[in-house]
Amino acid sequence: MLRQLQSLITRGRVLTSPAQLAGYSADGLGYKRFMPDAVVIPADADELVAFMRGAKSVGVPVILRGAGTSLSGGPVAAQGGVVVHTSSLKRIREINVEGFWCEVECGVALNDLDAALKPHGVFYPPDPSSGPVCTLGGNIASNAGGAHCFRYGVTSNYVLGVEAVMLDGSVHRFGGPAGGHGPWREDWKRFMIGSEGTLAAFTRFWLRLLPLPEKVWTFRATYPDLRSIEAAIHALVAHPAYPAAIEMIDPRGVAMVEGSQMACGLPKGSFMLLTEIDGPAALVDARVQSIAKLLRDAGSDDVVFSDDEPTRMKLWKARKAAGGLMGQLSADFVVQDAVIPKRALAEVLQLVYDEADAAGIPAVNIFHAGDGNLHPNFLFNSRKPGDLEKVEHISKALMKRVIEVGGTLSGEHGIGNDKAAYMPLVFGPDSMRLQLAVPAAFNPAHQLNPLKVLEARRFVA
Amino acid sequence: MSVEATDHYSNCTHCGFCLAVCPTYILTGDENNSPRGRLRLWSEEAAGKIPRDEWTDFYTSECVGCLACETACPAHVPYGELFEHTRHDHVATHRSHPSPAIRLAAHAVTHQSLFNLAMLPARMMRNLGLTPHPFLLPGKPALLKSTAGYARELMRAKKPTGPRVALLTGCLMEAMFRDINFATVRVLIENNCQVITPENQTCCGTFQEHTGLEGVEALREQNRRAFGPLDVDAIVSNSSGCGYSLAKTLAPNKPVRDVLTFLGDLDLKKREPRSTTARLYVDLPCHLVHGQKAPGIPANVLDATGIPWALAPNAKDCCGSGGVYNLDKPENARAILSAKSAFLNEAEGDPVILGTANHVCMMQWHSAGATGLVTRPYEVKHVIQLLDPGEGFALTPV
Ligand SMILES: Cc1cc2nc3c(=O)[nH]c(=O)nc-3n(C[C@H](O)[C@H](O)[C@H](O)COP(=O)(O)OP(=O)(O)OC[C@H]3O[C@@H](n4cnc5c(N)ncnc54)[C@H](O)[C@@H]3O)c2cc1C
Ligand code: SF4
Ligand code: SF4
Repeated sequence: MLRQLQSLITRGRVLTSPAQLAGYSADGLGYKRFMPDAVVIPADADELVAFMRGAKSVGVPVILRGAGTSLSGGPVAAQGGVVVHTSSLKRIREINVEGFWCEVECGVALNDLDAALKPHGVFYPPDPSSGPVCTLGGNIASNAGGAHCFRYGVTSNYVLGVEAVMLDGSVHRFGGPAGGHGPWREDWKRFMIGSEGTLAAFTRFWLRLLPLPEKVWTFRATYPDLRSIEAAIHALVAHPAYPAAIEMIDPRGVAMVEGSQMACGLPKGSFMLLTEIDGPAALVDARVQSIAKLLRDAGSDDVVFSDDEPTRMKLWKARKAAGGLMGQLSADFVVQDAVIPKRALAEVLQLVYDEADAAGIPAVNIFHAGDGNLHPNFLFNSRKPGDLEKVEHISKALMKRVIEVGGTLSGEHGIGNDKAAYMPLVFGPDSMRLQLAVPAAFNPAHQLNPLKVLEARRFVA
Repeated sequence: MSVEATDHYSNCTHCGFCLAVCPTYILTGDENNSPRGRLRLWSEEAAGKIPRDEWTDFYTSECVGCLACETACPAHVPYGELFEHTRHDHVATHRSHPSPAIRLAAHAVTHQSLFNLAMLPARMMRNLGLTPHPFLLPGKPALLKSTAGYARELMRAKKPTGPRVALLTGCLMEAMFRDINFATVRVLIENNCQVITPENQTCCGTFQEHTGLEGVEALREQNRRAFGPLDVDAIVSNSSGCGYSLAKTLAPNKPVRDVLTFLGDLDLKKREPRSTTARLYVDLPCHLVHGQKAPGIPANVLDATGIPWALAPNAKDCCGSGGVYNLDKPENARAILSAKSAFLNEAEGDPVILGTANHVCMMQWHSAGATGLVTRPYEVKHVIQLLDPGEGFALTPV
C-alpha cells in the first residue's frame, strides 16, 4: 500500500510509521482512538484529485480530515484506512466584495477567512466556537452552526457552490459564485453540505458574504436559577430586536471560566446568558436599554453590556473557549448535540442534571440556547471501568426525552461514528433506508468515511 | 516518563485550539508536528500504545519551544514542562544527539569567567564593526569591564535612592552583549533604582533547558543561593527567556520580572525624539508573552523611547529563534523568520528599528537582513537600548 500511496502522492507527504499515525488517531473526542493505516497530506488540490482517482485501487477506507475538531468521531479511521489531511489547501483564492462572495480552498481556517474579510467590510456569518482552527471543509461537511446562527442561520445558508471530487477522480462543481444549481438540474450542493465526508472530497467553495453590521452591542447577564434564565431566553426570542445570538453557560461552566485566564468576575453558582444585537447604529443604539431591561426583568441584577470591540471580544472569549475548558476537570468527555423546542429547555436540562447526578457523572452545559441546541458535556474517566457505560446510559435517557418533546439528535456537530448508534432512535426504518441510499449512490462500497452516520455503512473491499 | 508527567497529558481535551498558533504545524501541516500531536505521541508511548519510534524523536526535536500553545490552551496543559521533561529524557536515553558544538557551548556557559574570556574575540569584533556571522549584531560591548563592576561604579557615582533591584546578568548577555547589560544598568540608575548584581549568580539554565542537556539543576541551585536570600524590591532580567527560566527557579518565593515590565510601573525618564521619520516596530518575545505570560511591553515604556512605535505584525508569534533552534533546525527557523520579517521590506520609517526584549530574538532578527530575507536597511535593538541615556550618563552630574 505504501508504494501505491507514494505513487499517488509525490509532492505531498505519506505517513505510515506508528508515531506518524498516532497524531491522527482521534478528533475532538480525544479518548476515542482509531489508528489509521496511513495518512496522506496532498500538496494541493491537483494531488488530492490524483489521489482520489487512484483511491479505489488502494482498496481501503478513505477519510477526509480538516482540523480534526469534530466532536462526533467524524474524521477518524473507524474502519482503518487512509486519512487525507487537507492542511495544505489553505488558499483564499478570491474575495469579491462587489458580488459579496469569496472562493476558498477547503483547508482554510475559519478565523483566517474572517480576518481576511474584515478589512473589506464583509463577513461570513457561521461561527462555530472552534473558529481559530476548524476548516471550511470540515464546516461544510458538518453543516456547522455557531452562536450567531440563531439569527443568521447555519453554514448551508452561505454556501453558493462546492467543488467535489468523487472516488473515481471526477471533479464536479455544484453551484458556483452565482449560487443556484450550477450545471445540474437539482440543487445537489445541498446533498454535499453536511455529508460528513461520506459522498465526496471537497476541494473548494464559493461562499456568500454579508456586509459587516454597522454597530454591535454584546450583553452578559447572570441568573440565580434555571427558571429565571429560561424566562430571559423566551423573552429575548420574542423581542423585536431579534438578537443575533443567545448563548448560555451553566454554573459548572461558569466555575471553569472563572478558573481560567478568561475569568471575568462571574458570580459563583450563576447561570450566564450572552446575547448580542447588531445592525444600523441608530436602530441598535435605540434598543440597548430595552434589552437590558428585559434581562433585568427576568431576574438578573448583574447585566453588563458594551459596544466596545475589545470588551465585547472578552465577553465572547469565555464562551468560545468553553469547550476546551473541560480539560480543567476531565479530558475525557462526551458532548451531546440534541436540538429541542425551546419551551422544553428547563425540563430537559433538569433531566440532564438529575440523570448525571444519579450516576455520579459531572455534566456541564454550555450551549446555543436561542436555537434550543443543547450541548451537555458528560465528563468521565476513560480509564475507569463502567464510566463510559454510565454516560451512554444517560445519553440514551436524554435522547428518549428529546424525541418525546419533539426534538432531534444533532444540531451541528454531525453524527459521525459517535452518534450513529442513536440514529435508529430518531429515524424509522424507511427513513434509514432512504438515508443510506444517498451515500450508496455516490460510493456503493462505502469506501468514503465508512461506519459514519449510519452503522450499516461498512466498507467491503 | 514519570507518572505525574503522564497524568498531565490527561488535561488535553484534544480541542485543537493550539494547532492554530503552532509555528511548526503552520509550516508543515502535519498534525504530529503540532502541540496536540506531540502530546499524543508522548502519552501514547508512555502508555505503551505505540512503540518507541524515531519519528517521535523527530517530531519532538521539531518543536521550537515558543509556548504559544500554552497561551492558547483552555485546559491549562503544561506543555512547556512536559516538553522540557521529554527533551531531557530523549538526550539522556540517546534518542536525541546535541552536536559537539552545542555540548561545548552548554558546558562553557556554566563557567562564566572562562566563557567571558573565550568570547573576548567576539566582543572585539563587534567593537570593530566586524560582524561576519549573520547572528553577530553590531554593538560596542566593553572588552574587560564586567556589568557588575560597571554597576558598582555607577552606583557609587549616582547614589540612587529608589527601589533595590537585583539584575541577572546572564551568560551570553555578559560574554557577548554586555553593551545591553550596561544600558540596562544606566536606565535603571537614571530612574533612581539601586542596582545589585549578585556576584555568585550564574547562567539561568535556559541553554540546558533548550538542549535537554544535563546540569540545569546545579545552575538553578546556584541561582537560588545567589538570589534567594537577597532583600530587594525586584529581581529583573533583560532577556525574556532567561527571566522566564529564573522565575521558574525562584518560584514561588521570589518573583522575577522582565526589566521592561518593571520599568512600566515607574514614572520613566523619557528620551528626546531622535528624528521625525524614525519608526519602531515592536516584536514580543515568546518567553515574555507565552512564558512569563506578560501582556506585552508596557506602552509607557515604548512611549518613553521617543520614537513613534507600533507592534510588528503578528508580534506574539515566534520569530524562529527558539534558543538554539535556529542552529539546530536552520531551515525551519528561516522559514518562520521569512514569513515574520517580510513586512520590514515595506515598513514605513527612516530609520526602521525592530525592537524586542531578548538577545536571541535580536540575533534572529538581525540574520533576516544578513541572509537576504530583508533587503532594506533596518536596525535591531533591545528596547532598553532605546531608553538608554548613553555612555555619557556616567559623567553627568548627579
Ligand atoms: C472547542 C470546540 C468547539 C466547537 N464548537 C462548535 C460550534 O459552535 N458549532 C459547530 O457546528 N461545531 C462546533 N465544534 C465541532 C467542530 O469544530 C465542527 O464540526 C467543525 O466544522 C469541524 O471542522 P474541522 O475542520 O475540524 O473538520 P474535521 O473534524 O476534520 O472533520 C469533520 C467532518 O468533515 C469531513 N471533512 C473535512 N474536510 C473535508 C473535505 N475537504 N471534504 C469532505 N469532507 C471533509 C470529515 O470527514 C468529518 O466527517 C466544536 C469543536 C470544538 C473542539
Ligand atoms: S512550543 Fe511552539 S513550536 Fe512547540 S508545540 Fe508549542 S506552539 Fe508548537
Ligand atoms: S489547546 Fe490544550 S487541550 Fe486543546 S488540543 Fe491543545 S493542548 Fe490539548
